[in-house]
Amino acid sequence: MHNALLIMELSLREALRKRLVSVLLVLTALFVGFYLYGIFKLEGSLNGRAVAAGIERTRGGSSDLPVMYSAMFGMYLVYFLGSLMAVLSTVGAISGDLESGVMQSIIARPVSRAGLVLGRWMGFTLVNVGYVLLLSVALLGGVYAITGYVPPAALPAVLLLLLAVALLTALTVLGSTLFTTLANGIGVFVLYGAGFTGGILSTIGAFSDTPTLTTLGRAANILMPTNSLWLGASYYLQPPILRQLGEATRGANPFFGTEALAPGMIVWSVALTALAVAAAMWRFSRRDL
Amino acid sequence: MNAIRINAIQTRELRKEYKGRAVVEGLTLDVREGEVFGFLGPNGAGKSTTVKMLLGLVLPTSGQLEVLGGTPADPNIRARLGFLPEQFRFQTWMTAEEFLSFHGRLAGLKADELRVRIPQVLGTVGLGGRGREQLGGYSKGMLQRAGLAGAILARPRLVFLDEPTSALDPIGRVEVREIIERLRAEGVTVFLNSHLLSEVEQVCDRVAFVKRGRVLQEGSMQELMGGVIPVDLRVDELRPGLLDALSGLGEIRRTDINTPGRADLELWLQREDILPAVATAVHDSGARLFAMTPRRPDLETMFLDLIEDRPGAAPPESAHQAGSEHQPGAARA
Repeated sequence: MHNALLIMELSLREALRKRLVSVLLVLTALFVGFYLYGIFKLEGSLNGRAVAAGIERTRGGSSDLPVMYSAMFGMYLVYFLGSLMAVLSTVGAISGDLESGVMQSIIARPVSRAGLVLGRWMGFTLVNVGYVLLLSVALLGGVYAITGYVPPAALPAVLLLLLAVALLTALTVLGSTLFTTLANGIGVFVLYGAGFTGGILSTIGAFSDTPTLTTLGRAANILMPTNSLWLGASYYLQPPILRQLGEATRGANPFFGTEALAPGMIVWSVALTALAVAAAMWRFSRRDL
Repeated sequence: MNAIRINAIQTRELRKEYKGRAVVEGLTLDVREGEVFGFLGPNGAGKSTTVKMLLGLVLPTSGQLEVLGGTPADPNIRARLGFLPEQFRFQTWMTAEEFLSFHGRLAGLKADELRVRIPQVLGTVGLGGRGREQLGGYSKGMLQRAGLAGAILARPRLVFLDEPTSALDPIGRVEVREIIERLRAEGVTVFLNSHLLSEVEQVCDRVAFVKRGRVLQEGSMQELMGGVIPVDLRVDELRPGLLDALSGLGEIRRTDINTPGRADLELWLQREDILPAVATAVHDSGARLFAMTPRRPDLETMFLDLIEDRPGAAPPESAHQAGSEHQPGAARA
């Protein structure tokens, strides 16, 4: 475990020294600033219209729908950027060091290969989870500061997003022990796409009452639960009025969930994360370098 | 009573296959503790794969191997190994001190030990005062020196050096040779994989030639040459009694009297201290001595002969037999 922590520390220092963190912070500030500026203008416009119409806006009412949607789509972007970050930062976690030759001198030391993989996953997970947490706090805090609106259950929603990022990081580390960096990047994005496709199929299946599509969608979501985790998070982020709208349209919007995530899916996501890390540790311990 | 010598490396019928193709095929090797061992062979002979198996980076398909009396899969054994890879690629975002500190901590060295040891090894490899520079700004030669510092950092008992001077200038090569000699003096075993045969000749106690993952020949330089020292002699003429006198000192392998006014001989001596007696014998015969050149064992010729399956690639015993049939006075083709 000592060496796993050493490798985790190495991954964190690597992220700092390769300016991954500083670039992220700058880009995050730009993204959040840009998005919040839009919300600021939206809020001003809504207030202006309310004054012109001689009505008073009520928080959580239908006049706040644009702000609620802005917060929802903002969080969807947080999920998307977090997923992108999880894959791109980790795509060469093992394969990159193998391809560059750095790995040989490390593995010749008295370090267990399984410990090395665990350390790499822990290090990159810390960076990625920290990134999504920072982004979520900045976005939701900004929306609250501008509009006074805060989603009803932000904490469980963010926790589900963090689980999605940890899972993606684990799958990317596993791919990194199996494939080249490029093949791994493509493979994980295809998996991510499969999860998203599953969400769309489920939505269409439910909307059109076509059980086969729903089953296909469920299978894709079990294979890659990240989209389910987002839909679960989005359910927590929606106030009652948005949930009612979703139910009325029979869940026609594939980006937002209309029901809470089944506990079984959360357990499966945690188990899949652990399985992916364990499989990566097992695989790397048995391969030739 | 003789102390039992433990082999630092011992392999028996070691084999490695990749997709059904054997890269190392029945490698049997003994490297004694405290010696500098040269591992020679052409490209694709399986040298790097062998080193990787000995370090636990690659798993053998079959056969047995022991390193420092155990298996390289054991972290306690790996803690006593040092390794400079042929592809010396390191984290270029680190400074040399950070790189050594990271590797030292992986090897189990404590922080206060590292504070003393890191400047020491940086000084040893000629990077004193450069430890706080990023590896990304180092030249290839400096990177190789940093890698060498990493290899000897944790005071290993066995060091694998894979082409340790490939990026170094002549001064750097001499320095590496001195480091290897210092390691030998400290009782450290060095496994040297190098294409620079002159370097191997100068520093190795024993060498092994490998081809297609098999050891063709193994031994000290003198053993490989059949335990003889070839000496080239040039005199003005073969005076009576000279050949008899020389025959008493060694084996006359060749004489050439075809050129008027001079005679060339090749004499094989068993020991270097017979050389003065050869000069005395020439002088006593009344002949004038123009040249007497003891030849160092020529690793390059041996290497080419063995690796290219040349007709002269016979083992030393058969070379001796071929020599005894030779008659003095007859010119060699």
